[in-house]
Amino acid sequence: MAELALPRPTGMRPLPFGLALSALGLGLFALVLMRRPDLPGAAFDLDELLLWHSLLPRAATALLAGAALGLSGALLQRVLRNPIADPSTLGIAAGAQLALTLALAFAPALLALSREGTAFAGGVAAVALVLALSARRGFEPVTLVVAGMTLSLMAGALSAALILVRGDYVFALFIWGAGSLHQQNWEPAQLIGTRLALAAGATFLLRRPLGLMALDDAGARSLGMAVQGMRLAVIAVAVALAASVVSEVGVIGFVGLAAPALARVAGARRPDAVLLAAPLIGALLLWITDSLVQLTAGNGGDLIPTGAAVGLLGGPLLLWLLPRLRAAAPPLSVPATPRRRWRRPGRALAGLAVAALLAGLFALVAGRDLDGWALATGPLLTELLAFRAPRVVAAAAAGGLLGAAGAIMQKLTGNPLAGPEVLGVSAGAGVGLAAALLLAPDAGPGLLLAASAGGALGALLLVLAIAAATGFGAEKLLLAGIALGCMALAILSAFFAAGGPGSFLLLAWMAGTTDRVDLMQAAILAACALLLLLPVALAGRWLSLLPLGAGVAGSLGLRVAASQLLLTLLAAAMTGVAAFFVGPLSLVGLIGPHLARQLGLNRGAVFVFASALIGALVLLLADWLARMVAFPYQLPTGLLAALVGGPYLIWLLQRGDRHG
Amino acid sequence: MSAAPHLNRRALLAAGVAALALRGAPARAQAPDLRLATVDWALLETLLGMGISPVAAAELVLFREVAVEPPVPASVVDIGLRGAVNFEALRLTRPSLILSSNFYGWMEPKLRLIAPVETLSIYRTGRPPYGEAEAAAMAIGALTGREDAARALIDAVAGQIDACRQRLAAQAGRPLLVLNLGDSRHFRVFGADSLFGEVIARLGLANAWGERTFYAASAPLGLEALARFPEAFLVILRPVPPDAARVLATSALWNALPNIRARRFAVLDSVDPFGGLPTAARFARLLTAALLEGGSGNGGGLG
Repeated sequence: MAELALPRPTGMRPLPFGLALSALGLGLFALVLMRRPDLPGAAFDLDELLLWHSLLPRAATALLAGAALGLSGALLQRVLRNPIADPSTLGIAAGAQLALTLALAFAPALLALSREGTAFAGGVAAVALVLALSARRGFEPVTLVVAGMTLSLMAGALSAALILVRGDYVFALFIWGAGSLHQQNWEPAQLIGTRLALAAGATFLLRRPLGLMALDDAGARSLGMAVQGMRLAVIAVAVALAASVVSEVGVIGFVGLAAPALARVAGARRPDAVLLAAPLIGALLLWITDSLVQLTAGNGGDLIPTGAAVGLLGGPLLLWLLPRLRAAAPPLSVPATPRRRWRRPGRALAGLAVAALLAGLFALVAGRDLDGWALATGPLLTELLAFRAPRVVAAAAAGGLLGAAGAIMQKLTGNPLAGPEVLGVSAGAGVGLAAALLLAPDAGPGLLLAASAGGALGALLLVLAIAAATGFGAEKLLLAGIALGCMALAILSAFFAAGGPGSFLLLAWMAGTTDRVDLMQAAILAACALLLLLPVALAGRWLSLLPLGAGVAGSLGLRVAASQLLLTLLAAAMTGVAAFFVGPLSLVGLIGPHLARQLGLNRGAVFVFASALIGALVLLLADWLARMVAFPYQLPTGLLAALVGGPYLIWLLQRGDRHG
Repeated sequence: MSAAPHLNRRALLAAGVAALALRGAPARAQAPDLRLATVDWALLETLLGMGISPVAAAELVLFREVAVEPPVPASVVDIGLRGAVNFEALRLTRPSLILSSNFYGWMEPKLRLIAPVETLSIYRTGRPPYGEAEAAAMAIGALTGREDAARALIDAVAGQIDACRQRLAAQAGRPLLVLNLGDSRHFRVFGADSLFGEVIARLGLANAWGERTFYAASAPLGLEALARFPEAFLVILRPVPPDAARVLATSALWNALPNIRARRFAVLDSVDPFGGLPTAARFARLLTAALLEGGSGNGGGLG
């Protein structure tokens, strides 16, 4: 289990630190109060009303929400023994956002009834899912966070797809997604305050068991504690707290991560002290950020919404925590027992290749025209081929790349939840795209592609640099990628909150689509796929040995660091190329490897090739469905990939839970 | 659209004459059987406003909900989402010319595989959209040989706006704030360089919003910012999110705003913020009716 090993900072005492933070908060708030606008010709006391119904509740909400998130983060970190657990890394916000989007698209009445309730249910469901996914690995810190981030990214793509399809009411969701603290009454403050008081009471009652949780399970049990039940109770409190904040004021990232970390830096050592200090620091942190947001806001609105501003802190903070995260060697991956062993895996691969080929042919020929279902032949086929061929080729090539990248990442990290997404490459591509759309709204396809390539490359270099600086372990790599992904998501949410016509284009990219690829690009993509996949054949030994852990692999004569770096580069290039052309269709990179393992093709290079072929098959199927289900309306490919693959993946991992 | 056959015949005739006169000129001038398709909504409504029925257009389900008018004839084939036009469906409608705008620049190479593409952009940074909307109508007129219809649309819309202006003469110079409610705490406002901003100016009214926007709405603002405009008449565009309507009805701040207390606000039916000339006319008509009614008639509700 990982523990935070922070050196006790010399000269830093909790009290002066707290006082300094409070003074800063008060000073900024005084500035905010002084800078209130003069209201021309207000016949009655509008000014006072604004103070009482907008400014003060806003400050109260900031303080209470910050405290709630801080407490929630501290509880989660303690009970999961995971210094990087926090409501955002566990997917609460993403789940809530997806629930809101779903309700908006399919049941607006639900929102009129209770927007908060809807978001709350989504957040709780997301955490339940993340916990279920990582239960098999004993809630091991990195796995938990990887599961949370993967779920967040999937939920994000799903939300984007739904918004695209519905095309309406988008504005409200974006505001919420970027977390804004503007207030017009005391309701959110009251609600969060009540929940905070209840949770604080519960925490007080649970303080003894919480102290024992610092021990390992066996130790705690021997002291007479019902470990699992207690753990669930504490998690329930923490999640309820965070979900109520998220549902009231939107996505406010990383206060839950930052507050306990800062509490420890400030000198809080004992569990009780951290649990007390974290809410206080969280409250001040959010209050200060929100005051800064108000002070920098012009007449045209906030420069950046509060939630996104705090979210930007998340990335650097995770990176800063990285070297302090002393993780034991990850538990060996326990692949589900394959049903059969292939004496000649080559035959199985050939079979998969034929299946993919047939699927491609089917997707080229079968389809719908304006009158109904039709098999295109002859001149009609030639005509439609100009549109279908690039899509089919792109889907197959991108699916193959993502499947292979996922397989490599899983072998590399020994973590079954590590998809290609965790390298942060696709998120970087998204930020590049957003930057281009912001600076040049009329950008043509060439410029957009170049920008997303630049973003992806920048992200990769950053991840590699960070991983290199922290000693290049698999865990560090995962976390660096996740940290970068967090920052990218915060930037994207700020971009969406600003509105503007470019957001539609970015949404389309986020939802994942093969729609934009032309024949030339499809050819390039296919060539890239071949070029990147073939070298895998040479890396079979690396792929077999690395999952055994650095120690074993090294003693068997493997140059661990070099092979890790090369494989990372390969996976990143695969992910980057795929994301570049068809968007972040991350789920394919998770499904491919799991299905390959299920088929018993889990050794070395064969695993990667099988994952690639299955990835190609899955994406071909998803793309064809996306074109056909609502013809002539085309759904985003990512939506279909998630709908087809998501439930299956969860079922697969759950099953592994019981039998593995 | 009972006038459509007649207009089409005239269009054919005009195009035929043009074809004879301009042998060797760009293909578009001589198309005897022009089958137009459009991916852009503003161009779609301009076409419909000129009495031209395209063979295909994008996302008609939402268009009928958001832009509302002009009505789209059933013969127009829906080619799917604007952001993900179904090229196969578009191909099967066999258009001879496709109209697109800068929003869809990325798909132009694909559109060109189907038919020649003409890009007419109404919304561009630094260009007042009303003039661009008129220019787009004229350009469509030139492309289709229907300059007369373009002229007629431009004059009709200008005439309608002028008529509205005269009916509003008593309220000339009145400050207005055109806004969308995002939720119960946020709104966005349409600036002077938006289509609505320009129509307001043409109606002889004033836009209370002085800040810069990008030919559209501002970034989201907190509700409290409304207090800066106590004199403005609030023009709230539908859709109003259901939860916002519910919460604001009981909100102390909202109900204390001078505009709301004095019933200086109205909720307008949906208008496409990125529309063309027909949208300008629709907005002018709805706004004039609301202003002449003297504000919200339904007891301050937003529903």
